Amino acid sequence: MAMAALPAADHAPAIAGTDFADIVRRYQSMVFSIARHFLGDPSSAEELAQDVFLQLHSVLDDLESEEHIKFWLRKVTAHRCIDHRRRRRPPQISLEDAPEPSTRGNSGDPLLARRLRQYVTSLPEKPRLEMILRYQEDMLPEDIADVLSMPVATVKSHLQRSLAMLRVKVTRTIGEVTR
Amino acid sequence: MNPIDQNPNPIENALKEALRREDAPETLAAKVLMHVAQKSAESQPQHSWLAIFSRPALRWAAFAGVSTCLTLGGIHYRHLQRERVQGEAAKQQLMLALRIAGSKLHMAKEKVNDINAPRPESQPDNRIPRSRS
Repeated sequence: MAMAALPAADHAPAIAGTDFADIVRRYQSMVFSIARHFLGDPSSAEELAQDVFLQLHSVLDDLESEEHIKFWLRKVTAHRCIDHRRRRRPPQISLEDAPEPSTRGNSGDPLLARRLRQYVTSLPEKPRLEMILRYQEDMLPEDIADVLSMPVATVKSHLQRSLAMLRVKVTRTIGEVTR
Repeated sequence: MNPIDQNPNPIENALKEALRREDAPETLAAKVLMHVAQKSAESQPQHSWLAIFSRPALRWAAFAGVSTCLTLGGIHYRHLQRERVQGEAAKQQLMLALRIAGSKLHMAKEKVNDINAPRPESQPDNRIPRSRS
């Protein structure tokens, strides 16, 4: 759903009387987690989240609803993540070079979860953000396309490719572990 | 069919588990709010007395007061101007009256002088009276 084209009914004064501190508390986990999963570094993620909320404070009067705030936060966090990564350019671990886990994993396995996060972190910027928004925020490809200002078809294509790569990687990992 | 739109499979479940939201550090909200408070304090106006004009009622009252003062000042100035013009006219009339009175006095003085001027004495009659014979 494109927030720029919200119907008038959605422009209800949902944030009238809303305290800025409440907004920060409500969305800090979302903003921090997007940055954390993208950057892989909690201190950088915290710094980035702070900047996002300070920017939000300066534009809060222009945002018309709770949904608008959520959309704005996701969009600005995503773009700031890309900017941050381009400025700092840490050494990237490619998906192929990432080490295999040493124990068998399942959906509740912390080691598998950690390995999956590493695989996601090794993806290129846009596909990485798409995976984070899809599986962290449970967003539809159409909404991800709005946030990242990309064609829906491109988002779907990226998601399919990333998912296929991760599936191969995880299958190989489980195979190795079970050997 | 797009696999993303299909029912979640194990890899997608694992991804959801791996990428679930994490709690933000305890200090994040406090740091943000502290920065915001600092910025707000820095952006406070230096002359706090100007803040009284932020209230619409006071702003209108100040505007009305200034307007009234300007109007009364204008009226007073016009009144002073008119008085000065009238004073000038009265002064001119007085000067004219004084000049006329002066000339009249001068004429009267000359008349008085003429009247009081000593008449030339009659010439002694040197003629020899004729004899009557």
